Amino acid sequence: MKHYAVCRLLQLLPILFAITFMSFAMMRVAGSDVVEQKIENRGNAVSQEVVDAAREELGLDKPFLTQYFTWLGKMLHGDMGTSYVSGKPVFQTFLTKLPGTLLLTATSILLTIVLSIPLGILAAVRQNRITDYIIRVFSFIGNSMPNFFVALLLMYFFSIRLGLFPVISTGTSMKSVFLPTLTLAIAMSAKYLRQVRATILDELSKEYVAGAKARGIKFSVTLFRSVLKASLVTIVTLLTLSIGSLLGGTAIVESIFMWDGVGKMAVDAISMRDYPIIQAYVMWMAIIYVVVNLITDLSYRYLDPRIRLGGMKQ
Amino acid sequence: MKKRIAGIVLALALSASTLAGCGGTGGTSQTSAETAAAETAAKTEGAGGEKTFVFGDTTFNAENDESTINPHEGYSGWACIRYGVGETLFQLDDDMNLQPWIGESYENVDDTTWKLKIKDGVTFSNGNPCDGEAVKACLEDLVKTHERAAGDLKIASIDVNGNELTIKTSEPNPVLFNYLAEPYGCIIDVSAGVTPEGMVIGTGPYVAKELVTDDHLLLEKNPNYWNGDVNVDKITVRTISDGDTLALALQSGEIDAAYGMAYKSYPLFTNDNYTFSSTATSRSFYCQFNFNSPVCSDGAVRKAMAMGIDKEGFVKTLLQGYGYVGKGAFPDTLSYGGQNVNTESYDPEGAKKVLEDAGWVDSDGDGIREKDGQKLSVRWLTYPSRQELPLLAQSAQATLKDIGIDIQINSTADHNTICKDQSQWDVYVGANVNAGLGDPANFFSTHCLDSSTKNRGSYHNDNLEKLAKELEDTFNKDERGKLAIEMQQQILDDHAFIFCSFLKMSMISRKGVTGITAHPCDFYELTADLDVN
Repeated sequence: MKHYAVCRLLQLLPILFAITFMSFAMMRVAGSDVVEQKIENRGNAVSQEVVDAAREELGLDKPFLTQYFTWLGKMLHGDMGTSYVSGKPVFQTFLTKLPGTLLLTATSILLTIVLSIPLGILAAVRQNRITDYIIRVFSFIGNSMPNFFVALLLMYFFSIRLGLFPVISTGTSMKSVFLPTLTLAIAMSAKYLRQVRATILDELSKEYVAGAKARGIKFSVTLFRSVLKASLVTIVTLLTLSIGSLLGGTAIVESIFMWDGVGKMAVDAISMRDYPIIQAYVMWMAIIYVVVNLITDLSYRYLDPRIRLGGMKQ
Repeated sequence: MKKRIAGIVLALALSASTLAGCGGTGGTSQTSAETAAAETAAKTEGAGGEKTFVFGDTTFNAENDESTINPHEGYSGWACIRYGVGETLFQLDDDMNLQPWIGESYENVDDTTWKLKIKDGVTFSNGNPCDGEAVKACLEDLVKTHERAAGDLKIASIDVNGNELTIKTSEPNPVLFNYLAEPYGCIIDVSAGVTPEGMVIGTGPYVAKELVTDDHLLLEKNPNYWNGDVNVDKITVRTISDGDTLALALQSGEIDAAYGMAYKSYPLFTNDNYTFSSTATSRSFYCQFNFNSPVCSDGAVRKAMAMGIDKEGFVKTLLQGYGYVGKGAFPDTLSYGGQNVNTESYDPEGAKKVLEDAGWVDSDGDGIREKDGQKLSVRWLTYPSRQELPLLAQSAQATLKDIGIDIQINSTADHNTICKDQSQWDVYVGANVNAGLGDPANFFSTHCLDSSTKNRGSYHNDNLEKLAKELEDTFNKDERGKLAIEMQQQILDDHAFIFCSFLKMSMISRKGVTGITAHPCDFYELTADLDVN
């Protein structure tokens, strides 16, 4: 298993090289650069000399390949460069954004688990009854509403009507994290509870459940000791994929709640053509997905004995 | 049975929470808004009777090149002056004329020599005197470090005698003191240095205490303020990039005033609980024609477009009245503004006649005119980052279609690259601050001349070039105004530009906030006059 994990991690190197090169190239294809973007944002005309000097200072006057390999060379020496927009070191900027994203990821996933798994099980157990219908209707509504709309509704209700939580996040406090967490959890729970329901229903239709019932084993014992256990692989896969995307930040939610995370940082960097920040973000995303998928794969061996035993037979 | 009850309870709980989020009537909403305002008012008299104020701003961020409040860095001087940390030698009044501030007076000795007198008794917030030596040190650091200042100011040397300075420029610069009123001209104590976060010591009513780029700036009352009493003890400037969040934050009472509110949110605040302060600025939304375009090289097409855009309707309907109809390159509030020039007004029937006389007729009955097999289809290049521009594109598309012109809108962030290739567009539509420092020269020199970097459509007029040269060498303000009027009329007669509207800049504050006033130059926001009650 160690060999497998090391191989998967080594695969990261070509992936990182390829995606950093592609993102660098795509930014060039998108046109414009940080100097033009800044001038446009200000709306004031400046002389060509000023524009040329700014480009020269950032190295944007050099050919594309020179720029990429200059960046890569520095990167290999542990220097991620400085942001073209803020002028601050990229690594330091990234580290300041990370705690916010980690906290939001953890709380959102926890709330999603708390909401989606019990409701998914309840809907499956009460299939085609009023409880199931109500849960499915809410799931449908949750899936239909975009995040920004849910965020504004929650702000209106909890901040303006009730005055319980702030509209603007002030640091990474629990009070500030509630509304962004609820926004993300509503959308994810709406999606996952249907999948949990489908997985549980699939398991419930299997012969071992009927067998257990015939042998007089209580339904709750079959549900919690066998059905849930068998459904875990699907549920864990779904949740870990969500962790991957959440660690990449949720730009819209972060922007609306002024949550200082990596998602908003990435979107701002893309709109401003801040290449060093974009490159750091792309690398972060690649690492997250490879590591999260690796952990998911490894966890299957522990969660499902069939996978473990199947591996031994081979 | 237990399972059923649990299921029903859970469903009801979820229904209640969701419906509560969606619900609401005007009546209760009003009560909540008043409660929020009352709570905010209570907040303003904080511990120890301190007055506090929270200001939400969509523009204070690194994207606008305002990462810090150091005026010698990019456009950070805007934050320095807007939030009352720094002050310039002279300030612009509502008519965009220079008025004394730290400086008392200035005198033009000859084409390249100026005498400047600094007011006595001006101090920095750290108590150091802001005298002739301090001003000299600041200006020398400015031209050494700031990317635009050296080219704008053209300062060759500065001599000091007490509070009197003699400034020599390397070439005639009639607008030297207008440029020194630009936010980068904030006088700071360079001997005190700049903190790693980018905070500086200025002469303004507030002192910066904490700065987190793209998040907030904490200010405190300047105990050594030289120019009167300061009412508010502590101010937090919050960067709020999302327009909806800004509106909700003002409604919830988390902020006391807002700058940069989206037009669509204005109706929420047009009631007795809030105050609007609005003023015309010289930020214009304009059309610039491509003189090498197969359709817009025809003067009749340009003239018909000038007659076919309903500027009044655009401002009234799409900008909800928060704008001013444009005529010339400068707003009517300036002595050399649009009131002095003549141009086409909205006249669809007249526009149709102009096109027909020029041979543009709808021969195939599809509603779009043609001439020599060429469809009258105009490629409208614009960008979405200014919320007014896509609205203007839609408005023009509708009214120009009525006169037989098809508008193909290309609203893209990549407009700067596209506009370099004249074969890809016919009219460029953008926004520009045309007289940000009260002087007209910059607009012409950057947009209309052979040497202009923003003369995107290769417009040329010999008379305009001659007038521009004259403007360069004219020091008298009235004479400069006259030349600016003549130059505007020339570009309007050539139909090289259409000035559709000017931005009406607004700040919205909650009831009880006073002394926060919008200024035409957009430089001054938080001043010593600010008060919360």
